[in-house]
Amino acid sequence: MSIEQAQVQQALDIFGDGTRLDILGENADLLRYAESEITAQHSERRLRVRVRINRNGRSVAGSLETLEPSAVQDLADRLTAALAELPSGPVQEAAPAADHSAPTPVIPASESVLESDPAVRHRWFATVRAGLDPSAKLGGAIRYEVLDRVVADSAGLFRAETLTKASIQAIAKQDGKSASVRLMHRDADQIPVEEIPGRLREALRPLPVAEAHHGTCPVLLKPQAANALIATYGYAVLGANAYATGRSAVSGRLGEKVASELITLVDDGCDPDGLPSGFDAEGNVRRRTPLISNGVLTGVVSDRRRAGLTGGVPTGHAVPDGWRFGGDPVPSHLLLEAGESTDDELLAGVGSGLVVNRLDYLRVLHPKETLVTGTTRDATYWAEDGKLVGWHPQVRFTFRMDDVMNAVLGVGSVRERCDQTFMESVVVPSLLIDAGPLVLP
Amino acid sequence: MRDIAETVLGLLPADVQYGDIRVVHRTHEQVLVELDGPGEVNYDDSLGLGLRVLIDGQWGFAATHRLDARGLDAVVAQAVGQARATGGGGHAVLGEPVTTRDAWSSPMDVDPFTVALSTKLDLLSTTVKEAATAGPLVQQIEASVDFYRDDKVFASTEGAMIEQMLTESGGGLMVNAGDGNDVQRRSFPQGVPRQIRGQRGDFATAGFEHVLSLGLPENAARIGSEAVALLTAPQCPDEITTLVAGSNQLAMVLHECAGHPMEADRALGTEASLAGGTYATPERRGNFRWGTPIVSAYADATIPGALGSFKYDDEGTPAQRTQLVKDGIFIGYMSSREYAGALGGQSTGQARADGWQRLPLVRMTNICLEPGESSLEEMIAGTKRGILVDTNRGFSIDDQRMNFRFQTEIGWEIRDGKVGRMLKNCTYQSDTPTFWGSLDALGGPDEWKVHGVPSCNKGEPLQVAHVGHGTVPGRFQNVQVGR
Repeated sequence: MSIEQAQVQQALDIFGDGTRLDILGENADLLRYAESEITAQHSERRLRVRVRINRNGRSVAGSLETLEPSAVQDLADRLTAALAELPSGPVQEAAPAADHSAPTPVIPASESVLESDPAVRHRWFATVRAGLDPSAKLGGAIRYEVLDRVVADSAGLFRAETLTKASIQAIAKQDGKSASVRLMHRDADQIPVEEIPGRLREALRPLPVAEAHHGTCPVLLKPQAANALIATYGYAVLGANAYATGRSAVSGRLGEKVASELITLVDDGCDPDGLPSGFDAEGNVRRRTPLISNGVLTGVVSDRRRAGLTGGVPTGHAVPDGWRFGGDPVPSHLLLEAGESTDDELLAGVGSGLVVNRLDYLRVLHPKETLVTGTTRDATYWAEDGKLVGWHPQVRFTFRMDDVMNAVLGVGSVRERCDQTFMESVVVPSLLIDAGPLVLP
Repeated sequence: MRDIAETVLGLLPADVQYGDIRVVHRTHEQVLVELDGPGEVNYDDSLGLGLRVLIDGQWGFAATHRLDARGLDAVVAQAVGQARATGGGGHAVLGEPVTTRDAWSSPMDVDPFTVALSTKLDLLSTTVKEAATAGPLVQQIEASVDFYRDDKVFASTEGAMIEQMLTESGGGLMVNAGDGNDVQRRSFPQGVPRQIRGQRGDFATAGFEHVLSLGLPENAARIGSEAVALLTAPQCPDEITTLVAGSNQLAMVLHECAGHPMEADRALGTEASLAGGTYATPERRGNFRWGTPIVSAYADATIPGALGSFKYDDEGTPAQRTQLVKDGIFIGYMSSREYAGALGGQSTGQARADGWQRLPLVRMTNICLEPGESSLEEMIAGTKRGILVDTNRGFSIDDQRMNFRFQTEIGWEIRDGKVGRMLKNCTYQSDTPTFWGSLDALGGPDEWKVHGVPSCNKGEPLQVAHVGHGTVPGRFQNVQVGR
């Protein structure tokens, strides 16, 4: 589904001065499976046209599913009438205009996803299922999506890109235990599907069930678990508006130590290790933004309204109008720098402690205190003397993320790419957390 | 829309065993006023269709916004192609055919889409001004109203043709106060556990009269004052004690402990890779003690005005009441035609899709507690030591819907039968059967109220459902509370 520039310009002409369009053409194909059988297949095609008009200190927004002129005119009439009724105020007047001169980063689209074929997804499913023990039950989904994006405004901005993405989630259950793998890439051919059964079989290792440990101990967060921690921390803490209004736990602490010296975190929408995208919902180019360097807070992410905190230039983190997770700028492409520790070295560092493959339903209870709660899920092990000795029962952790970030003793050398419903990509290695902040109730 | 549905059904090839189409036109209006802001208006309009086909026992689904001839041909080809790609061998059982032909609109007194924008802005501006009287520690105020209309047609190869129009209205207030060290939030009439703009408060399948009935301006000053007072309130102590939970707090607990776990697709494992499974497995139906004998719960999509009400679900099955828990025992599931078939029964009418572009899933409708014989006043008076909590701030529950932790926006000590000091950061932690097994009192019919929540998430791709919860206050013994 291509979005024609002439159609976009026609819509801009109808809406008039002060208009910004954020247009998404979505093409998604999905294969879902459960209990080792296919349960659903979807093909979804959708065009979403988001409109915002800022005029004379007033702001209105709307959306529709077409660029057909009569429908655009109908919405334009409604929005114009609403503008006339709104009192004037200081809406975005102080925000800098979009930087039209900055070139749009080029993110290559992958033919492997553009040429989406249900047969490929069926082969992936068959490969993973065939590689598991027959008694294991497979669940999960394979998704291909193509996203055509355009952000344009009445002052002449026009940015366009086509983003491709393939992902596979595989959860294997066997004898009351479960293990999961989730892989994704802009290029489907780069996903090593054939490795998934082996990873699942290894995770479903035949260990006895260990007695539940109580109290604190060292905890090794494998990449999927570290992903939930880093993404949630970044979302709650590292946005410019939360920082400026005092709602962030690190407000006023630029230049201060906020995490272990082993932590170096950046946001970079163009880094191919993540799932790159070139610009945000305002059309701002995504800029590499150092956030934490060797434990010291070095930056936050911004949109046009909060660009003053980032040198007057937005970092490219404006969120779409009507976004389910709020209206403030938040990180979109986090990358945690890899360390030097191998998996064996990290496990040795655990000594007697917990190994967590996945943190689930991690929710913020108190943003200012970075207090969260969530549970372990899938393969969770107990280690003794640096060796895995048993499956540990599910644990609910309630903890302060800033305490955990300060208690990092080791960082793995291998990173994994994943996403979150509120973040486009997160690339993290394993993290070894010292005893103290994570308490097993 | 009806013509489009009939055209698409006419395009289906002969090997389609079953097909249904939903053409949905959804409109949404949001008006939002913030502290020191002039207000914002948002109009959303979405029209498209979703087609589901069953071929040799395998499903295919396709959705499109393109409603011209090429778009209709393409959506049929995609849905059929998806179903055929599996190679057959599926065993979906749909039960009795649905052949209903009907048209229905949800009742309302005042169409919210005809109310002047100035009326909505005045209501919200007054609310914000009242909340701001709490003083300079108030950092953020957001008052909003949202209105939805779904105009939809359902048609199937079995002969069903159902036209429904649902109108929903809601509104709410959120106040954040901060003193540099702490940030505290109060919401009215109920909390939303995330940072979304608008779509907060209490919703109903009703017109503008529902928004007027909420009393936003009348309660705004109190909510603002409570947000400020929480900054200096003592922390909730860590202890095992008696917990008295307000009606709107229990709404979300019921949602997580009974709503999701008793959706049949979870019980049959198809959500295992997403939100997870459930403790409410088929072999436990009829013998699993979910709570004390004083508690019974049900799903009911026929409650007039409740947010999860309709006349027919998205498979054409009539709305109905389904008993989930009776006298403390788990006894029933919510289901769709396929999942009811897998469990050996008939659909209970809970197949629902988010707009036109998503596949219908088993979704809770209005999950309700049957009222008890006590009252909030009696529960407090009968408690020597405990805490009273209200308004959900956040929660997490495990993938089997057992172990949970809820946090509330506000709490108060109860000492010797009286409400005492305000407490902040109150949380409580338990697991489903232990918690409901500690229930010793429920409010009576006079305190029963339906709370409408427009933000229930499920599925992949994620779908947002509008649901209701009919609840009363409840008292629970020996609950771990803390911050």
